[in-house]
Amino acid sequence: MRLLYIFATLIFWLLVAAFWAGSLWLPPAEKSAAIAVGKSISPTELAKHSTPENCWVAIRGNVYDLSAYLPKHPSQPDILPSWCGKEATEAYNTKTKGRPHSIYADELLIKYQIGILASGKS
Amino acid sequence: MAMLRNLTIPLLILTCTASLIWWAFPERLSTARTLGIVLGWAGCSLLLVSLLLMLRETWLAQWLGGLERMYQWHHWTGTTAYVLLLAHPLILAADAWPNSRLLAWQTLSPFNQGWPIWSGWLSLLLLMSGLAATFILRIPYQIWRWLHFGLGIGVLLGLVHLTLLGISEPVLPILALAISFLGWRLIRDDFGVAARPYVVGSVKSVAEDIVEISLKPLAEPTVITPGQFILVAFFTGQKFCGRGEFHPFTVSSVSADHEICIAVKALGDCTRHIQSIEPGTLARMHGAFGTFLADRPPKPQLWVAGGIGIIPFLALLRTGPVDQPTMLLYLYRTEVDAAFLHELRTLANLDQQLSLKALATGDEAPDLKSLLDTQGLAKYECYLCGPPAMVAALRKYLHNRDVTPQQIHFEKFEFR
Repeated sequence: MRLLYIFATLIFWLLVAAFWAGSLWLPPAEKSAAIAVGKSISPTELAKHSTPENCWVAIRGNVYDLSAYLPKHPSQPDILPSWCGKEATEAYNTKTKGRPHSIYADELLIKYQIGILASGKS
Repeated sequence: MAMLRNLTIPLLILTCTASLIWWAFPERLSTARTLGIVLGWAGCSLLLVSLLLMLRETWLAQWLGGLERMYQWHHWTGTTAYVLLLAHPLILAADAWPNSRLLAWQTLSPFNQGWPIWSGWLSLLLLMSGLAATFILRIPYQIWRWLHFGLGIGVLLGLVHLTLLGISEPVLPILALAISFLGWRLIRDDFGVAARPYVVGSVKSVAEDIVEISLKPLAEPTVITPGQFILVAFFTGQKFCGRGEFHPFTVSSVSADHEICIAVKALGDCTRHIQSIEPGTLARMHGAFGTFLADRPPKPQLWVAGGIGIIPFLALLRTGPVDQPTMLLYLYRTEVDAAFLHELRTLANLDQQLSLKALATGDEAPDLKSLLDTQGLAKYECYLCGPPAMVAALRKYLHNRDVTPQQIHFEKFEFR
Protein backbone atom coordinates (compact mmCIF):
# COMPACT_ATOMS: atom_id res chain seq x y z
CA MET A 1 0.00 0.00 0.00
CA ARG A 2 2.99 2.26 0.61
CA LEU A 3 4.05 1.90 -3.03
CA LEU A 4 0.49 2.47 -4.23
CA TYR A 5 0.36 5.71 -2.21
CA ILE A 6 3.71 6.96 -3.55
CA PHE A 7 2.96 6.13 -7.21
CA ALA A 8 -0.59 7.51 -7.10
CA THR A 9 0.58 10.78 -5.49
CA LEU A 10 3.46 11.22 -7.96
CA ILE A 11 1.26 10.53 -10.99
CA PHE A 12 -1.40 12.91 -9.65
CA TRP A 13 1.02 15.85 -9.36
CA LEU A 14 2.60 15.05 -12.75
CA LEU A 15 -0.83 15.13 -14.42
CA VAL A 16 -1.81 18.35 -12.59
CA ALA A 17 1.42 19.90 -13.92
CA ALA A 18 0.60 18.56 -17.40
CA PHE A 19 -2.88 20.17 -17.34
CA TRP A 20 -1.33 23.47 -16.23
CA ALA A 21 1.34 23.30 -18.94
CA GLY A 22 -1.35 22.46 -21.51
CA SER A 23 -3.27 25.61 -20.58
CA LEU A 24 -0.17 27.75 -21.23
CA TRP A 25 0.25 26.59 -24.84
CA LEU A 26 -3.24 27.15 -26.21
CA PRO A 27 -4.04 26.49 -29.88
CA PRO A 28 -4.47 29.85 -31.75
CA ALA A 29 -8.27 29.47 -32.03
CA GLU A 30 -8.70 28.95 -28.29
CA LYS A 31 -6.32 31.83 -27.52
CA SER A 32 -8.35 34.31 -29.59
CA ALA A 33 -11.56 33.05 -27.97
CA ALA A 34 -10.08 33.74 -24.56
CA ILE A 35 -9.23 37.32 -25.57
CA ALA A 36 -12.77 37.90 -26.88
CA VAL A 37 -14.47 37.63 -23.45
CA GLY A 38 -14.88 41.41 -23.20
CA LYS A 39 -16.65 41.66 -26.59
CA SER A 40 -20.07 43.38 -26.71
CA ILE A 41 -22.82 41.15 -28.13
CA SER A 42 -26.22 42.48 -29.18
CA PRO A 43 -29.53 40.68 -28.43
CA THR A 44 -29.95 40.17 -32.20
CA GLU A 45 -26.58 38.44 -32.42
CA LEU A 46 -27.48 36.42 -29.33
CA ALA A 47 -30.76 35.25 -30.93
CA LYS A 48 -28.86 33.80 -33.92
CA HIS A 49 -27.28 31.18 -31.63
CA SER A 50 -30.42 29.35 -30.56
CA THR A 51 -29.76 25.71 -31.33
CA PRO A 52 -28.27 23.07 -29.00
CA GLU A 53 -25.24 22.82 -31.30
CA ASN A 54 -24.75 26.61 -31.28
CA CYS A 55 -26.13 27.75 -27.96
CA TRP A 56 -25.44 31.21 -26.57
CA VAL A 57 -27.25 32.28 -23.39
CA ALA A 58 -27.33 35.68 -21.64
CA ILE A 59 -27.30 35.60 -17.83
CA ARG A 60 -26.92 38.63 -15.54
CA GLY A 61 -25.60 40.81 -18.36
CA ASN A 62 -22.99 38.39 -19.69
CA VAL A 63 -23.17 36.12 -22.73
CA TYR A 64 -22.03 32.51 -22.51
CA ASP A 65 -21.43 29.94 -25.25
CA LEU A 66 -22.87 26.81 -23.65
CA SER A 67 -22.70 24.59 -26.76
CA ALA A 68 -19.90 22.45 -25.28
CA TYR A 69 -21.47 22.37 -21.80
CA LEU A 70 -24.99 21.39 -22.91
CA PRO A 71 -24.42 17.59 -22.82
CA LYS A 72 -22.97 17.89 -19.29
CA HIS A 73 -25.86 19.86 -17.74
CA PRO A 74 -27.48 17.68 -15.07
CA SER A 75 -31.13 18.77 -15.68
CA GLN A 76 -33.74 17.19 -17.97
CA PRO A 77 -32.44 17.20 -21.60
CA ASP A 78 -35.01 19.74 -22.93
CA ILE A 79 -34.65 22.40 -20.22
CA LEU A 80 -31.42 24.17 -21.10
CA PRO A 81 -31.71 24.04 -24.96
CA SER A 82 -35.00 25.96 -24.71
CA TRP A 83 -33.02 28.95 -23.39
CA CYS A 84 -30.47 28.99 -26.23
CA GLY A 85 -30.32 32.44 -27.92
CA LYS A 86 -32.24 34.08 -25.03
CA GLU A 87 -31.82 36.09 -21.86
CA ALA A 88 -32.11 33.47 -19.09
CA THR A 89 -31.27 35.30 -15.85
CA GLU A 90 -34.63 34.59 -14.21
CA ALA A 91 -34.53 30.92 -15.18
CA TYR A 92 -30.97 30.68 -13.88
CA ASN A 93 -31.95 32.27 -10.57
CA THR A 94 -34.99 30.02 -10.04
CA LYS A 95 -34.14 26.44 -10.94
CA THR A 96 -35.87 23.46 -9.30
CA LYS A 97 -38.34 24.59 -6.59
CA GLY A 98 -37.28 28.26 -7.04
CA ARG A 99 -33.72 27.74 -5.82
CA PRO A 100 -30.90 29.69 -7.49
CA HIS A 101 -27.95 27.84 -9.03
CA SER A 102 -25.02 27.09 -6.68
CA ILE A 103 -21.84 29.17 -6.32
CA TYR A 104 -20.10 26.38 -8.19
CA ALA A 105 -22.45 26.85 -11.14
CA ASP A 106 -21.58 30.58 -11.13
CA GLU A 107 -17.89 29.74 -11.24
CA LEU A 108 -18.39 27.14 -13.94
CA LEU A 109 -20.32 29.67 -16.02
CA ILE A 110 -17.36 32.11 -16.08
CA LYS A 111 -15.37 29.59 -18.10
CA TYR A 112 -17.91 29.78 -20.93
CA GLN A 113 -18.19 33.59 -21.12
CA ILE A 114 -17.70 35.01 -24.60
CA GLY A 115 -18.84 38.61 -24.13
CA ILE A 116 -21.16 41.18 -22.56
CA LEU A 117 -24.80 41.64 -23.57
CA ALA A 118 -25.24 45.01 -25.29
CA SER A 119 -28.33 47.02 -24.25
CA GLY A 120 -29.36 48.12 -27.81
CA LYS A 121 -30.84 46.08 -30.68
CA SER A 122 -27.94 46.51 -33.12
CA MET B 1 -19.32 -19.06 10.88
CA ALA B 2 -15.72 -17.83 10.51
CA MET B 3 -16.22 -17.67 6.73
CA LEU B 4 -19.33 -15.52 7.23
CA ARG B 5 -17.43 -13.21 9.58
CA ASN B 6 -14.69 -12.83 6.96
CA LEU B 7 -17.27 -11.79 4.37
CA THR B 8 -19.01 -9.10 6.41
CA ILE B 9 -16.59 -6.27 5.61
CA PRO B 10 -16.35 -6.95 1.81
CA LEU B 11 -20.17 -7.22 1.72
CA LEU B 12 -20.53 -3.97 3.64
CA ILE B 13 -18.16 -2.18 1.23
CA LEU B 14 -19.92 -3.64 -1.82
CA THR B 15 -23.42 -2.76 -0.60
CA CYS B 16 -22.51 0.76 0.49
CA THR B 17 -20.57 1.60 -2.70
CA ALA B 18 -23.01 -0.01 -5.13
CA SER B 19 -26.06 1.70 -3.58
CA LEU B 20 -24.38 5.11 -3.55
CA ILE B 21 -23.25 4.81 -7.17
CA TRP B 22 -26.68 3.52 -8.23
CA TRP B 23 -28.35 6.49 -6.54
CA ALA B 24 -25.95 9.09 -7.91
CA PHE B 25 -25.21 7.58 -11.35
CA PRO B 26 -25.29 10.48 -13.85
CA GLU B 27 -27.28 10.22 -17.06
CA ARG B 28 -26.59 11.62 -20.51
CA LEU B 29 -23.03 12.65 -19.71
CA SER B 30 -19.85 11.74 -21.57
CA THR B 31 -18.08 8.52 -20.53
CA ALA B 32 -15.14 10.37 -18.98
CA ARG B 33 -17.33 12.72 -16.95
CA THR B 34 -19.52 9.80 -15.81
CA LEU B 35 -16.39 7.90 -14.75
CA GLY B 36 -15.03 10.94 -12.87
CA ILE B 37 -18.30 11.33 -10.95
CA VAL B 38 -18.61 7.60 -10.20
CA LEU B 39 -15.03 7.46 -8.86
CA GLY B 40 -15.81 10.40 -6.57
CA TRP B 41 -18.84 8.63 -5.11
CA ALA B 42 -16.93 5.32 -4.78
CA GLY B 43 -14.16 7.15 -2.88
CA CYS B 44 -16.77 8.80 -0.66
CA SER B 45 -18.33 5.42 0.15
CA LEU B 46 -14.96 3.79 0.94
CA LEU B 47 -14.03 6.66 3.26
CA LEU B 48 -17.31 6.27 5.15
CA VAL B 49 -16.68 2.53 5.62
CA SER B 50 -13.10 3.32 6.64
CA LEU B 51 -14.41 5.59 9.41
CA LEU B 52 -16.73 2.84 10.67
CA LEU B 53 -13.83 0.37 10.72
CA MET B 54 -11.74 2.50 13.09
CA LEU B 55 -14.26 2.13 15.94
CA ARG B 56 -13.04 0.00 18.84
CA GLU B 57 -16.16 -1.75 20.08
CA THR B 58 -16.10 -5.41 21.03
CA TRP B 59 -19.59 -6.12 19.60
CA LEU B 60 -18.67 -4.45 16.31
CA ALA B 61 -15.37 -6.36 16.16
CA GLN B 62 -17.30 -9.62 16.66
CA TRP B 63 -19.65 -8.79 13.76
CA LEU B 64 -16.86 -7.74 11.45
CA GLY B 65 -14.37 -10.56 12.07
CA GLY B 66 -12.12 -9.00 14.72
CA LEU B 67 -10.39 -5.71 15.42
CA GLU B 68 -7.22 -6.69 13.57
CA ARG B 69 -9.23 -7.50 10.47
CA MET B 70 -11.13 -4.21 10.82
CA TYR B 71 -7.82 -2.32 10.89
CA GLN B 72 -6.47 -4.12 7.82
CA TRP B 73 -9.63 -3.18 5.91
CA HIS B 74 -9.54 0.35 7.40
CA HIS B 75 -6.10 0.78 5.80
CA TRP B 76 -7.20 -0.76 2.49
CA THR B 77 -10.42 1.26 2.16
CA GLY B 78 -8.65 4.48 3.15
CA THR B 79 -5.81 4.05 0.64
CA THR B 80 -8.10 2.91 -2.19
CA ALA B 81 -10.47 5.83 -1.55
CA TYR B 82 -7.50 8.19 -1.72
CA VAL B 83 -6.43 6.81 -5.12
CA LEU B 84 -10.01 7.05 -6.49
CA LEU B 85 -10.39 10.61 -5.19
CA LEU B 86 -7.10 11.64 -6.82
CA ALA B 87 -8.41 10.29 -10.13
CA HIS B 88 -11.79 12.07 -9.72
CA PRO B 89 -10.73 15.69 -10.57
CA LEU B 90 -8.16 14.53 -13.13
CA ILE B 91 -10.79 12.64 -15.14
CA LEU B 92 -13.24 15.57 -14.95
CA ALA B 93 -10.47 17.82 -16.31
CA ALA B 94 -9.54 15.27 -18.98
CA ASP B 95 -13.17 15.31 -20.13
CA ALA B 96 -12.86 19.01 -21.02
CA TRP B 97 -9.41 18.65 -22.65
CA PRO B 98 -10.51 17.76 -26.25
CA ASN B 99 -12.74 20.88 -26.41
CA SER B 100 -10.55 23.34 -24.55
CA ARG B 101 -7.22 22.97 -22.77
CA LEU B 102 -7.96 26.16 -20.87
CA LEU B 103 -11.29 24.79 -19.62
CA ALA B 104 -9.55 21.54 -18.62
CA TRP B 105 -7.09 23.47 -16.42
CA GLN B 106 -9.86 25.74 -15.07
CA THR B 107 -11.85 22.63 -14.08
CA LEU B 108 -8.89 21.39 -12.05
CA SER B 109 -7.22 24.56 -10.85
CA PRO B 110 -7.96 25.91 -7.36
CA PHE B 111 -7.01 29.44 -8.50
CA ASN B 112 -9.86 31.82 -9.39
CA GLN B 113 -12.29 29.40 -7.71
CA GLY B 114 -14.39 29.50 -4.55
CA TRP B 115 -15.08 27.27 -1.56
CA PRO B 116 -16.81 24.50 -3.56
CA ILE B 117 -13.48 23.69 -5.23
CA TRP B 118 -11.15 24.85 -2.44
CA SER B 119 -12.83 22.45 0.01
CA GLY B 120 -12.24 19.60 -2.44
CA TRP B 121 -8.58 20.53 -2.76
CA LEU B 122 -8.16 20.96 1.01
CA SER B 123 -9.73 17.56 1.53
CA LEU B 124 -7.29 15.94 -0.91
CA LEU B 125 -4.28 17.71 0.64
CA LEU B 126 -5.28 16.59 4.16
CA LEU B 127 -5.70 13.00 2.94
CA MET B 128 -2.31 13.28 1.23
CA SER B 129 -0.48 14.56 4.33
CA GLY B 130 -2.22 12.11 6.69
CA LEU B 131 -1.31 9.14 4.53
CA ALA B 132 2.24 10.45 4.03
CA ALA B 133 2.57 10.35 7.83
CA THR B 134 1.45 6.72 7.77
CA PHE B 135 3.44 5.48 4.78
CA ILE B 136 6.57 7.61 4.45
CA LEU B 137 7.50 9.79 7.39
CA ARG B 138 9.18 8.38 10.48
CA ILE B 139 7.70 10.72 13.04
CA PRO B 140 6.90 10.58 16.78
CA TYR B 141 3.62 8.89 17.67
CA GLN B 142 1.99 12.12 18.98
CA ILE B 143 2.60 14.01 15.71
CA TRP B 144 1.48 10.99 13.72
CA ARG B 145 -1.79 10.91 15.72
CA TRP B 146 -2.55 14.54 14.90
CA LEU B 147 -1.79 14.08 11.20
CA HIS B 148 -3.92 10.94 11.21
CA PHE B 149 -6.71 12.91 12.87
CA GLY B 150 -6.36 15.33 9.94
CA LEU B 151 -7.54 12.47 7.71
CA GLY B 152 -10.91 12.62 9.47
CA ILE B 153 -11.12 16.38 8.85
CA GLY B 154 -10.20 15.65 5.21
CA VAL B 155 -13.18 13.30 4.92
CA LEU B 156 -15.53 15.94 6.35
CA LEU B 157 -14.15 18.61 3.99
CA GLY B 158 -14.72 16.25 1.05
CA LEU B 159 -18.37 16.01 2.05
CA VAL B 160 -18.56 19.79 2.51
CA HIS B 161 -17.20 20.05 -1.07
CA LEU B 162 -20.20 18.01 -2.28
CA THR B 163 -22.66 20.08 -0.23
CA LEU B 164 -21.27 23.35 -1.63
CA LEU B 165 -21.65 21.94 -5.13
CA GLY B 166 -25.38 21.87 -4.39
CA ILE B 167 -25.67 18.11 -3.81
CA SER B 168 -27.54 17.91 -0.51
CA GLU B 169 -28.98 14.41 -1.01
CA PRO B 170 -27.59 11.94 -0.01
CA VAL B 171 -24.60 13.96 1.21
CA LEU B 172 -26.15 15.42 4.37
CA PRO B 173 -27.02 11.97 5.85
CA ILE B 174 -23.51 10.76 4.92
CA LEU B 175 -21.99 13.86 6.55
CA ALA B 176 -24.05 13.17 9.69
CA LEU B 177 -22.81 9.54 9.73
CA ALA B 178 -19.18 10.60 9.23
CA ILE B 179 -19.41 13.12 12.10
CA SER B 180 -21.03 10.44 14.31
CA PHE B 181 -18.25 7.92 13.59
CA LEU B 182 -15.50 10.49 14.23
CA GLY B 183 -17.19 11.73 17.42
CA TRP B 184 -17.77 8.15 18.58
CA ARG B 185 -14.13 7.26 18.09
CA LEU B 186 -12.89 10.43 19.76
CA ILE B 187 -15.19 10.46 22.80
CA ARG B 188 -15.82 6.78 23.52
CA ASP B 189 -12.49 5.35 22.40
CA ASP B 190 -9.72 7.99 22.50
CA PHE B 191 -11.04 9.92 25.53
CA GLY B 192 -11.80 6.54 27.12
CA VAL B 193 -15.45 7.20 28.05
CA ALA B 194 -16.36 3.63 27.07
CA ALA B 195 -13.26 2.11 28.69
CA ARG B 196 -13.42 0.27 32.03
CA PRO B 197 -11.41 1.50 35.05
CA TYR B 198 -8.60 -0.66 36.47
CA VAL B 199 -5.72 -0.08 38.87
CA VAL B 200 -2.20 -1.49 38.68
CA GLY B 201 -1.81 -4.20 41.37
CA SER B 202 1.80 -5.29 40.90
CA VAL B 203 4.70 -4.79 38.50
CA LYS B 204 7.35 -7.46 37.91
CA SER B 205 10.38 -7.41 35.61
CA VAL B 206 10.36 -10.71 33.69
CA ALA B 207 13.20 -10.11 31.21
CA GLU B 208 15.30 -7.27 29.88
CA ASP B 209 12.94 -4.41 28.90
CA ILE B 210 9.83 -6.48 29.70
CA VAL B 211 7.55 -6.01 32.71
CA GLU B 212 4.46 -7.99 33.67
CA ILE B 213 1.74 -5.74 35.10
CA SER B 214 -1.31 -7.01 36.98
CA LEU B 215 -4.52 -4.98 36.69
CA LYS B 216 -7.39 -5.12 39.19
CA PRO B 217 -10.90 -4.07 38.13
CA LEU B 218 -12.41 -1.01 39.85
CA ALA B 219 -15.86 -1.61 38.35
CA GLU B 220 -17.54 -4.40 36.38
CA PRO B 221 -14.65 -6.46 34.95
CA THR B 222 -14.09 -7.26 31.29
CA VAL B 223 -14.61 -10.85 30.13
CA ILE B 224 -11.30 -12.03 28.67
CA THR B 225 -10.06 -15.38 27.38
CA PRO B 226 -6.41 -16.44 26.83
CA GLY B 227 -5.09 -15.37 23.44
CA GLN B 228 -7.03 -12.12 23.45
CA PHE B 229 -5.63 -8.62 23.64
CA ILE B 230 -6.86 -5.44 25.25
CA LEU B 231 -6.26 -1.72 24.70
CA VAL B 232 -4.93 -0.11 27.85
CA ALA B 233 -4.14 3.52 28.74
CA PHE B 234 -2.20 4.32 31.91
CA PHE B 235 -2.80 7.52 33.83
CA THR B 236 -1.24 8.84 37.04
CA GLY B 237 0.17 7.02 40.06
CA GLN B 238 2.08 8.40 43.05
CA LYS B 239 5.16 9.21 40.98
CA PHE B 240 4.34 7.73 37.59
CA CYS B 241 2.72 10.07 35.07
CA GLY B 242 1.05 8.10 32.29
CA ARG B 243 0.35 9.44 28.82
CA GLY B 244 -3.26 8.28 28.64
CA GLU B 245 -2.74 6.73 25.18
CA PHE B 246 -4.48 3.44 24.40
CA HIS B 247 -2.07 0.74 23.18
CA PRO B 248 -2.71 -2.96 22.51
CA PHE B 249 -1.31 -5.54 24.93
CA THR B 250 -1.84 -9.29 24.94
CA VAL B 251 -3.15 -10.73 28.17
CA SER B 252 -0.65 -13.03 29.92
CA SER B 253 -3.04 -14.36 32.56
CA VAL B 254 -6.65 -14.15 33.67
CA SER B 255 -7.45 -15.10 37.27
CA ALA B 256 -10.74 -16.22 38.78
CA ASP B 257 -11.16 -12.88 40.62
CA HIS B 258 -10.96 -11.08 37.24
CA GLU B 259 -7.47 -9.72 37.89
CA ILE B 260 -5.54 -9.80 34.64
CA CYS B 261 -1.89 -9.52 33.69
CA ILE B 262 -0.28 -8.02 30.63
CA ALA B 263 3.36 -8.11 29.55
CA VAL B 264 4.80 -4.88 28.17
CA LYS B 265 8.00 -4.82 26.14
CA ALA B 266 9.83 -1.51 25.61
CA LEU B 267 9.37 -1.16 21.86
CA GLY B 268 8.67 2.59 21.62
CA ASP B 269 8.56 5.81 23.68
CA CYS B 270 5.31 4.96 25.46
CA THR B 271 6.10 1.31 26.26
CA ARG B 272 9.58 2.32 27.50
CA HIS B 273 7.94 4.85 29.82
CA ILE B 274 5.59 2.13 31.11
CA GLN B 275 8.60 0.09 32.29
CA SER B 276 8.77 2.46 35.29
CA ILE B 277 5.08 2.11 36.21
CA GLU B 278 4.19 1.58 39.86
CA PRO B 279 1.37 -0.16 41.76
CA GLY B 280 -1.63 2.09 42.34
CA THR B 281 -1.48 3.72 38.90
CA LEU B 282 -4.90 4.16 37.35
CA ALA B 283 -5.65 2.59 33.98
CA ARG B 284 -8.56 2.30 31.57
CA MET B 285 -9.21 -0.64 29.29
CA HIS B 286 -11.05 -1.36 26.04
CA GLY B 287 -11.68 -4.93 24.99
CA ALA B 288 -11.16 -7.74 24.91
CA PHE B 289 -10.46 -8.37 21.23
CA GLY B 290 -9.10 -11.21 19.11
CA THR B 291 -9.81 -14.88 18.51
CA PHE B 292 -6.23 -16.09 18.07
CA LEU B 293 -6.43 -19.25 20.21
CA ALA B 294 -10.23 -19.63 20.13
CA ASP B 295 -12.02 -22.57 18.46
CA ARG B 296 -8.92 -24.78 18.29
CA PRO B 297 -9.77 -28.07 16.53
CA PRO B 298 -9.04 -31.43 18.26
CA LYS B 299 -5.77 -31.98 16.39
CA PRO B 300 -2.06 -31.96 17.37
CA GLN B 301 -0.89 -28.40 17.76
CA LEU B 302 2.29 -26.60 16.81
CA TRP B 303 2.79 -23.30 18.60
CA VAL B 304 5.67 -21.08 17.52
CA ALA B 305 6.48 -17.96 19.55
CA GLY B 306 9.08 -15.30 18.82
CA GLY B 307 10.13 -13.12 21.78
CA ILE B 308 7.17 -11.34 23.39
CA GLY B 309 4.94 -13.47 21.11
CA ILE B 310 5.05 -16.13 23.85
CA ILE B 311 2.38 -14.22 25.85
CA PRO B 312 -0.88 -15.65 24.35
CA PHE B 313 0.49 -19.22 24.68
CA LEU B 314 1.58 -18.56 28.26
CA ALA B 315 -1.89 -17.20 29.11
CA LEU B 316 -3.47 -20.43 27.84
CA LEU B 317 -0.96 -22.70 29.57
CA ARG B 318 -1.54 -20.88 32.87
CA THR B 319 -5.22 -21.94 32.76
CA GLY B 320 -4.30 -25.66 32.97
CA PRO B 321 -2.95 -28.61 30.94
CA VAL B 322 -3.40 -28.60 27.16
CA ASP B 323 -6.10 -30.89 25.73
CA GLN B 324 -4.16 -31.95 22.60
CA PRO B 325 -0.56 -33.04 21.96
CA THR B 326 1.16 -29.66 21.69
CA MET B 327 4.66 -28.73 20.59
CA LEU B 328 5.76 -25.24 21.67
CA LEU B 329 8.76 -23.74 19.92
CA TYR B 330 9.94 -20.61 21.77
CA LEU B 331 12.53 -18.49 19.95
CA TYR B 332 14.23 -15.48 21.52
CA ARG B 333 17.32 -13.39 20.77
CA THR B 334 19.43 -14.03 23.87
CA GLU B 335 18.94 -15.67 27.28
CA VAL B 336 18.20 -12.28 28.93
CA ASP B 337 15.28 -11.81 26.50
CA ALA B 338 13.72 -15.19 27.38
CA ALA B 339 10.73 -14.01 29.42
CA PHE B 340 8.89 -16.67 31.46
CA LEU B 341 11.26 -19.46 30.31
CA HIS B 342 11.63 -20.95 33.78
CA GLU B 343 7.83 -21.01 34.27
CA LEU B 344 7.32 -22.56 30.83
CA ARG B 345 9.80 -25.35 31.60
CA THR B 346 7.97 -26.08 34.86
CA LEU B 347 4.61 -26.18 33.03
CA ALA B 348 6.05 -28.50 30.36
CA ASN B 349 7.43 -30.86 33.03
CA LEU B 350 3.98 -31.08 34.64
CA ASP B 351 2.05 -31.57 31.38
CA GLN B 352 2.45 -34.91 29.55
CA GLN B 353 1.01 -33.56 26.29
CA LEU B 354 3.17 -30.43 26.12
CA SER B 355 6.69 -30.47 24.70
CA LEU B 356 8.80 -27.32 24.85
CA LYS B 357 11.72 -26.44 22.61
CA ALA B 358 13.38 -23.13 23.56
CA LEU B 359 16.24 -21.60 21.61
CA ALA B 360 18.26 -18.39 21.57
CA THR B 361 18.65 -17.45 17.90
CA GLY B 362 20.84 -14.34 18.21
CA ASP B 363 20.40 -11.80 15.44
CA GLU B 364 20.25 -14.46 12.73
CA ALA B 365 17.04 -15.92 11.29
CA PRO B 366 16.42 -19.37 12.84
CA ASP B 367 17.10 -22.50 10.78
CA LEU B 368 13.50 -23.75 10.64
CA LYS B 369 14.44 -27.01 8.93
CA SER B 370 16.51 -28.14 11.91
CA LEU B 371 13.89 -26.93 14.41
CA LEU B 372 10.72 -28.42 12.93
CA ASP B 373 9.93 -32.00 11.94
CA THR B 374 9.71 -31.74 8.15
CA GLN B 375 7.81 -35.02 7.64
CA GLY B 376 4.77 -34.78 9.87
CA LEU B 377 3.98 -31.06 9.80
CA ALA B 378 0.82 -31.46 7.67
CA LYS B 379 -1.01 -33.12 10.56
CA TYR B 380 -0.52 -30.10 12.88
CA GLU B 381 -2.73 -27.10 13.49
CA CYS B 382 -0.19 -24.27 13.56
CA TYR B 383 -0.38 -21.10 15.70
CA LEU B 384 2.27 -18.40 15.12
CA CYS B 385 2.95 -15.29 17.16
CA GLY B 386 6.04 -13.13 16.84
CA PRO B 387 7.75 -10.47 14.70
CA PRO B 388 6.20 -10.03 11.20
CA ALA B 389 9.36 -11.30 9.44
CA MET B 390 9.39 -14.48 11.52
CA VAL B 391 5.68 -15.13 10.92
CA ALA B 392 6.12 -14.54 7.17
CA ALA B 393 9.10 -16.95 7.00
CA LEU B 394 7.19 -19.58 8.99
CA ARG B 395 4.08 -19.31 6.82
CA LYS B 396 6.18 -19.83 3.69
CA TYR B 397 8.05 -22.74 5.27
CA LEU B 398 4.87 -24.47 6.46
CA HIS B 399 3.12 -23.88 3.14
CA ASN B 400 6.03 -25.60 1.34
CA ARG B 401 5.54 -28.60 3.63
CA ASP B 402 1.89 -29.18 2.71
CA VAL B 403 0.38 -27.29 5.64
CA THR B 404 -2.77 -25.63 4.24
CA PRO B 405 -3.53 -21.94 4.92
CA GLN B 406 -6.59 -23.06 6.96
CA GLN B 407 -4.21 -24.82 9.37
CA ILE B 408 -2.07 -21.71 9.93
CA HIS B 409 -3.29 -19.14 12.47
CA PHE B 410 -1.53 -15.87 13.26
CA GLU B 411 -2.15 -12.27 14.21
CA LYS B 412 -0.21 -9.31 12.80
CA PHE B 413 -1.01 -6.65 15.42
CA GLU B 414 -0.65 -3.81 12.88
CA PHE B 415 -2.51 -1.09 14.75
CA ARG B 416 -0.67 2.06 13.87
